[in-house]
Amino acid sequence: MAILHIAWRELRALFSTAIGWMVLCGFLSITGVLWFIWLAEYADQQAKMAFNPYGGASLSVTEALLIPWFGNCALILIFMAPALSMRMFAEEYKQRTMELLFTSPISTLEIVLGKYLGTVCFAVVMLLCTAHVPATLYYWGQPEFGAVAGSYLATFLLASLIIAMGMFCSSMTTNQVVALSMSFAASLVLWVAAFAGSDPDALLSHIGLTTHLQEMYGGSVRLSDLVYFGTGILVFIFATHQRLESHRWS
Amino acid sequence: MIQVKQLTKNYGATLAIDKLDFQVEKGEIVGFLGPNGAGKSTTMRILAGSLSASSGEAMVGGVDVFNDPRKVKSMVGYLPEFPPLYTDMTVRSYLRFCARIKRADEPKKAVERVIDQVGLTKVAHRLIDHLSKGFRQRVGIAQALVHSPSVLILDEPASGLDPAQRVEIRSLVKGLSDGETTVILSTHVLPEVEAVCDRVVIINKGLIVGQGSMDQLAGSGTSVNLRVARPDEALLQRLKDVDDVSVVSDLGDGKYTIAAGSDVREEVARRAVDAGLLELGASRALEDTYLKLTGGE
Repeated sequence: MAILHIAWRELRALFSTAIGWMVLCGFLSITGVLWFIWLAEYADQQAKMAFNPYGGASLSVTEALLIPWFGNCALILIFMAPALSMRMFAEEYKQRTMELLFTSPISTLEIVLGKYLGTVCFAVVMLLCTAHVPATLYYWGQPEFGAVAGSYLATFLLASLIIAMGMFCSSMTTNQVVALSMSFAASLVLWVAAFAGSDPDALLSHIGLTTHLQEMYGGSVRLSDLVYFGTGILVFIFATHQRLESHRWS
Repeated sequence: MIQVKQLTKNYGATLAIDKLDFQVEKGEIVGFLGPNGAGKSTTMRILAGSLSASSGEAMVGGVDVFNDPRKVKSMVGYLPEFPPLYTDMTVRSYLRFCARIKRADEPKKAVERVIDQVGLTKVAHRLIDHLSKGFRQRVGIAQALVHSPSVLILDEPASGLDPAQRVEIRSLVKGLSDGETTVILSTHVLPEVEAVCDRVVIINKGLIVGQGSMDQLAGSGTSVNLRVARPDEALLQRLKDVDDVSVVSDLGDGKYTIAAGSDVREEVARRAVDAGLLELGASRALEDTYLKLTGGE
């Protein structure tokens, strides 16, 4: 239960501080604008195809609209999710509130999981706020359910991994800007890793985020992708736990 | 209630506390006295479970702090030197959060009880960010009390407060001693210790350099400060004639300092009434002892 209380406190803190609202509004504004850009592009392409005597079937809303838009959402998350996680422990150290958590009858793991869960819940709220996109598509067209569900799952896993990384970075410093920079740099490295190696079987390609997102966007959830994200999240939760424990021994 | 044996803590190459040995009985109020950096906070943090020790034993209520920290934490209320407050929360919501993570029985009732106990009723709905330092300190004490701990550890509870707030906090702490709750408080303000504590542990450079009751440490000597409205020679003589008085110093403007071998306040007051007694105070020789033990002479 302590995990839930800490998670609730974390979620409340994000909604009661400017940074939470800035991330939420920024994410929704940018993804909203991108949605309209992709929509206009799609309408344009569709019109061109309608007047093309050699044109075949109409463009798929899933492939021409939904998947590229979710790809953009992922990139925006790379920039924005670190801003959510930067305060998780850096702020606690700075305000000296870690002492309250450390002297309460709860374990370090409960503290870590509670804070992580609270921030992930905020990311879920962000994603839920984009529900108008598939809703509109279902109203006007027929997007593939698997692609919609897979894209949301991919974006959720991506956000969860970045938050776990950011949480670890936040546990390393009392300075939120340093935590943000570390977390952003790590996310960016994972993002570009997939493009760095030309060989799809190269290690860099396996480490890269996009390698594990592409199939999910199409609605195909591979075990290897789930293991990638799951392992990454667990590694950073464990690293954060160890980092906090080391404070007691410092 | 608290037993500490050979407790040692190193921060890298720096020795923060060195083989501390002391114990605190149930219901006692014990003051940790020492200069800054003496090791008071380190000892308290170890007892509160937020810091590990390098070696030694610490038991709270018969439970080993290092083997069963959770159980110890549920018995201990801790106020660090800087109260751990979430300033974006209201007093009530913050205390509810504390009550829940500290696993208080009936959290809502516990919060209302503690709000009443430490005098936060008027500000319970306000954001902690908008509170004065004195009220913030009270909120800090409230979070330490919310789960009804049997041991209360207060690290400099009155530090940074103005004199009026210090008196308030002092009387608040004094009021917590119900014979059931054991209190350890640290300070480097001697009057605070004299006003509140039953016993003192003096720490310097990580070592216990003295411990005992106030009388044991101060000896029986007393220094009485007196102010009267109508000073005269007869009064001076009457004061010198009091048993056990060794020196009477006339400081002018009706102020006198009387050094005596025992507590002579009652007799001094009786003799000063006719001269228009305005103020009477006493300080024990604890200050001298403290300075000697901590090398502050």
